[in-house]
Amino acid sequence: MDVFGSFALLLAFVCAAYAIVGGIAAIRTRHPLLIKSARQAGIATCVLIFVATFSLVYLFFSDSYWVAYVVSHGNHSLSTFYKIAALWSGQEGSLLFWSFLLSIYVFSVLIAYRNKNGELMPYVGVVMAGVQIFFLTLNNFVASPFKVLASAGANGALDIFTRADGNGLNPLLQYPEMVIHPPNLYSGYTGFTIPFAFALGALLARYPGEKWIHLTRKWTMIAWCFQTVGILLGAHWAYAVLGWGGYWGWDPVENASLLPWLTGTAFLHSVMMQEKRGMMKVWNVWLVFVTFMLCILGTMLTRSGVVSSVHAFAQSSIGNWFLGFLILILVVCLAAYVKNRDYLKSENQLDSMISRESSFLFNNLILLVSCVAVLSGTLFPVFSEWLSGSRISVGKPFFDKVNIPLGLILLFLTGVGPLLAWRKTSVDSLKRNFGWPLVVGLTAGAVLFALGLREFYSLVCLILCVFVTSTIGMEFFRGARVLKARSGSSLMTSAVDLTMRNTRRYGGYIVHMGMVLIFVGLSGAAFNKDAQKEMQPGSTMTIGRYTLLLQSMDTKPEPNYTSERLIVEVMKDSKPLMMLYPERRYFPANQESGTMVAIYSTLREDLYVVYAGRSPDNEVPVIHTYLNPLVKWIWLGGVVVVLGTFVTLLPNRRAVLALSAVQQPASAPSLSPSLQPQVTLREGHD
Amino acid sequence: MINRRFIAIFNLTCLTGMLALPVAAQIDRAKQIGGKFMCMCNCNQVLTQCNHVGCTVSTAMLKELDQRLARGESETAITQGFVQEFGTQVYAEPPKSGISLVAWSLPSIYLAVGTALVVMVIWRWRARPHLRPAAANMPAGMSADRLEDVRQRVARETED
Repeated sequence: MDVFGSFALLLAFVCAAYAIVGGIAAIRTRHPLLIKSARQAGIATCVLIFVATFSLVYLFFSDSYWVAYVVSHGNHSLSTFYKIAALWSGQEGSLLFWSFLLSIYVFSVLIAYRNKNGELMPYVGVVMAGVQIFFLTLNNFVASPFKVLASAGANGALDIFTRADGNGLNPLLQYPEMVIHPPNLYSGYTGFTIPFAFALGALLARYPGEKWIHLTRKWTMIAWCFQTVGILLGAHWAYAVLGWGGYWGWDPVENASLLPWLTGTAFLHSVMMQEKRGMMKVWNVWLVFVTFMLCILGTMLTRSGVVSSVHAFAQSSIGNWFLGFLILILVVCLAAYVKNRDYLKSENQLDSMISRESSFLFNNLILLVSCVAVLSGTLFPVFSEWLSGSRISVGKPFFDKVNIPLGLILLFLTGVGPLLAWRKTSVDSLKRNFGWPLVVGLTAGAVLFALGLREFYSLVCLILCVFVTSTIGMEFFRGARVLKARSGSSLMTSAVDLTMRNTRRYGGYIVHMGMVLIFVGLSGAAFNKDAQKEMQPGSTMTIGRYTLLLQSMDTKPEPNYTSERLIVEVMKDSKPLMMLYPERRYFPANQESGTMVAIYSTLREDLYVVYAGRSPDNEVPVIHTYLNPLVKWIWLGGVVVVLGTFVTLLPNRRAVLALSAVQQPASAPSLSPSLQPQVTLREGHD
Repeated sequence: MINRRFIAIFNLTCLTGMLALPVAAQIDRAKQIGGKFMCMCNCNQVLTQCNHVGCTVSTAMLKELDQRLARGESETAITQGFVQEFGTQVYAEPPKSGISLVAWSLPSIYLAVGTALVVMVIWRWRARPHLRPAAANMPAGMSADRLEDVRQRVARETED
């Protein structure tokens, strides 16, 4: 099967090469057969990558311990769940997994648009195949996952040998979220290839107007949603597994995932200006380019060892390949832009400073400033070493200080932006839309202050959360009230109906609501408490309203590890509440240990109990306990963001009156053809 | 008798309080100062937050921090001592001096330059005259003002 997989990858490389060469020839000649063959080569590339990926998974399941990658990351006792996760747990496998996910997107695009957009698709196919061939080069010639264990035999031939068992999966990765976090994050990274391919393809093809944006909106939303979920799952994994009581440490790998998310979010907002007003064409194209380049840059940073990270892969020369690819993308994008920039000329015009357009500009500014600040902070240790000879670390305190104010400005814009009118917002409209939310927000702030909340950023954050919630709530309420008056149905039914009539707008509000919940959760971090104590069975420790009684401890052998478990009774306000079982696990296959944190989670706070190990002095168990307020809101917010994204992807439920450009008889028009309102019923977004 | 017992309990409480207060204060200071250093076990975490199983580095560093605090060393002296021992990588946040000032000033520069650019762009775009449609697209018998009115109506009616 290793030979089979290896051969499939090689063949995929050849097919991708043909998809590029044939695609370029098809663009030049416009020959239908060439166009078709290039597309089919693209589809074949994807199928072959699927085959190679399934071959590697099969090698894990068949315990093929003559394949180096299987030996390094698998073993007999791994459960089915983790044998699948082993696929992306190392450098070689994760690169193949990257190719696999990219192929799913490419395959879907090639099939979905096989008979559409004939002008554009050959260009898009070439760009997608170009990205694929880079990863296939790595899969085939730089980091092949199908290398076998072999030594030179006496006769000069290679003797393949088989190990009895593998080293097993890294203990930190043996956690359910690790099975779903990387696929989500990688789906986000790879997903941004599609808008990139359409943007570059449209620029190269001088494809008319906003077509590429309409074509890629759903793909961008899907990639963005995966990226969001991936980031949040990663945060939850860090919270539940690493045992340091936090969920976001501004580690370079975490930062690398945040960078394209920030620019991708900026794009999703600024793209509306192009759709509605034909503005920002150059900006949008470059936002897509930059988002894709940041995906590659992040991968380069974490795989090259340029920056140190607890998550990073071992230092290797593979970073140079990514650097080369990054330079190539930049050169191609610059060349395409310089050559065809006239095509991107747009009617940039603003009527007022207080308008939806201005709010989008400021939204983009804050997202971009945050992105550049995170990037420069992440790279500062490298720069400081180059410039001064000493590496200066930039850790969590720095990133918190820089990004918290930016996040709060963004939160404010989240409430303000959607309620400003396009072109110009009148003073009356401002009063109508923001009067009550402002009053409610400030009242909430006064109440919180009176209750003793003095942490400045948390107070501001919560005031803004209430303000944004009020603005969103009022939007739903006003719309639903109108529908209720017409239909007579309940307010809730009307609100659902309203949402389904304009999924994009109200789905967007739901996404914003999810972000508000996330911010509520983040605001709790200022009030975290922790305590650590050496505890003999029978002893207690107190944190906040909780008292922990260590009842006993036991040892439990499992197929893949041995667990040492503490049995802790939790009492709240002196009344028994529940049992918690923090664990330390020892994995004999790779001689490593890991923690399993025990968490009692409520909307108010998380009681987070870590078995930190035994005291070196007296072998007594040490328990580290954290009381983290509001953390659950972050995960709830993530769920709401996903829900909102799904809603935005749905078609509008009812037919809407739409304006479309159609040819009119010469005698008829009294308006410009482009403005002539035609009552055409269509399903679609506004 | 009651008075004596009360005085004894009171004295004991005061004594305990007097002893406990500096200890509590020292723990708080250790947390505050420890939050400014990185753990040097390569985990990329702040010293007081490093909780890796078997991390002997953070334990030793925290112990050293406690010892220095117990000796009454100032925060500056402790920082200098840690930097001498571990190098500049021990900073959790760059110091606000020398080359590290660049790290602190960059985000403000980005924000200031970006804001200036956005304001300038808005200013320029507002100053632009409304573009008139090309003559070829002008419907017969329709004035430019009427067309602009219709254009605005279309924009209004299609706003989301």
